[in-house]
Amino acid sequence: MTLVVGLIFLLTAVFLILPVVTTVLMAFDSRDYLGPFPPQGLSLQWFDKLWDEQYLWAGFYTSLIVASAATLISSIVGTLAAVAMSRMTGAARDVLSSLFLSPLIVPGVIIGFALLMLFSALGIGSPLTRLIAGHLVITIPYSIRMALIGLLGVKSSLREAALSLGANEIQAFLTINFPLAKSSIAAGAVFAFAFSLDDLAISLFLSDFNTFTLPVALVGLLRSSFDLTIAAAAVGLMGVTLILLLVLDRTVGLDRVVGLSVDKA
Amino acid sequence: MKADKNQGILLLPAGALFIFLLALPLVLAGVESFREFTPGRIGSVGGAPLTLASYAELLHPVYIQYFALTYALSFISSIVAILVAFPIAYYISRRSTPTVRKGVIFITVGLLFLSHLVRIYAIELTFGSTGMFAPLLTALGISMNSREYIYFMIVAGLLQYSIPMSMLILIGTIQNLNPRLLEASQSLGTSAFRSHVNITIPLCVRGIVSVFLVSMTMGISAFAIPWILGRGRVLFVSNLIYSRFNEVANFPSGAAISVIMIILCVVMIYIVSRVATLADRS
Repeated sequence: MTLVVGLIFLLTAVFLILPVVTTVLMAFDSRDYLGPFPPQGLSLQWFDKLWDEQYLWAGFYTSLIVASAATLISSIVGTLAAVAMSRMTGAARDVLSSLFLSPLIVPGVIIGFALLMLFSALGIGSPLTRLIAGHLVITIPYSIRMALIGLLGVKSSLREAALSLGANEIQAFLTINFPLAKSSIAAGAVFAFAFSLDDLAISLFLSDFNTFTLPVALVGLLRSSFDLTIAAAAVGLMGVTLILLLVLDRTVGLDRVVGLSVDKA
Repeated sequence: MKADKNQGILLLPAGALFIFLLALPLVLAGVESFREFTPGRIGSVGGAPLTLASYAELLHPVYIQYFALTYALSFISSIVAILVAFPIAYYISRRSTPTVRKGVIFITVGLLFLSHLVRIYAIELTFGSTGMFAPLLTALGISMNSREYIYFMIVAGLLQYSIPMSMLILIGTIQNLNPRLLEASQSLGTSAFRSHVNITIPLCVRGIVSVFLVSMTMGISAFAIPWILGRGRVLFVSNLIYSRFNEVANFPSGAAISVIMIILCVVMIYIVSRVATLADRS
């Protein structure tokens, strides 16, 4: 029994981690073409090429702007909604909560396609505004959910105590509820940022030739030239992931992320 | 009364964005799906006559195959993910030391946060024609250009997400179980394996069902995975919608496929949750 579980564990670990390790090793390949694994020598040439790859950098800057804006807006909007929901009865809250989480089961391609039709019908929005609006659809659910979990963890007696001592609603929120729910709200922001940064399906519909996000640029490269500049870019993106992970661990602790962030049921 | 009014104001921004950016576009797509399409134009003409043509077209076997393939490969990856993730999650939440647990969770969350294009590229580098397994596969006489191998690559791509996701959800579920129940069963003489089948698994039905639904919805909406790993020879429904927009500019058809896809998704979630509730009660 234990042996079988151990074997499954080992094989799964290899299956999930081996591709990442392979990519890191190949990024340092000294051959100037994509040859068979393993690399014959090491060099930094692909990182030099990455440095000059204006197409990817342009995408990266756009992605940073879009992800930051979407995260900021969805954290504020999501927290406000979560405050209202935290004061509702269980049944009403459940209905609203599944409604607000519903964008997560709609395939990204459909959201992108439908938004494109809306924006062209109304004839509004620069590409940047369109991208930010599109990303809000997938970031707000995470912000609401995480903020709600945080706010529900605050005892209502604490707020009532503040109110009975003469604080008004806003003061009570700012001095009691918000500080206690802060780490969950921050975790929601990390999720929002990460998923915005990684979105391809929605961005593909809302980008144009001048304004495109990093995944749109990456997928363009993947489909045109499957070379190792992408491996170098992958190493860079692993660094970004590591930073997000450390932020998440510092704010809520990764242990608490288990079962609470991804469990939609 | 005052509190209710305040709550309305707090919900207003999120509600307005939800209606404007999700509900309204989906309704527009629904309307568009009934419009008549004139080849050569971008989208339908405003006020074009209404027709069921875009839906009728989908009854063609070619289109049904796209749907069947999308569901079949997503189903395989969801089942494999549960079979693999359940024992690991059980081991992590019950037997492992805090350090191992922390390490596994760090790596799992990290894998989910890593750019999905990076993971797809990594799969191609590892299992593709320049990968480390290529010599072995060639020696075994397995063609890496066959349709079956492309299916394998796509399922491998889907599993890169469904396994870590399933692990995290199931670790959460198993942590909430009372370990005494299992001990009781074993102390009454039942074997470890049978005890798990009789006690642990039935108590985890909700968790397993939500894992299945999350993996299925993720698989069905997969876009980049089949687009890149399918090498243009295997496409999912998502890719079909994109090509309707990108290649032929037939918006009504793309909209009709989207409507069918959402309906199928909702029906699937409804049926699976019903079955789960019934199983939970019995």
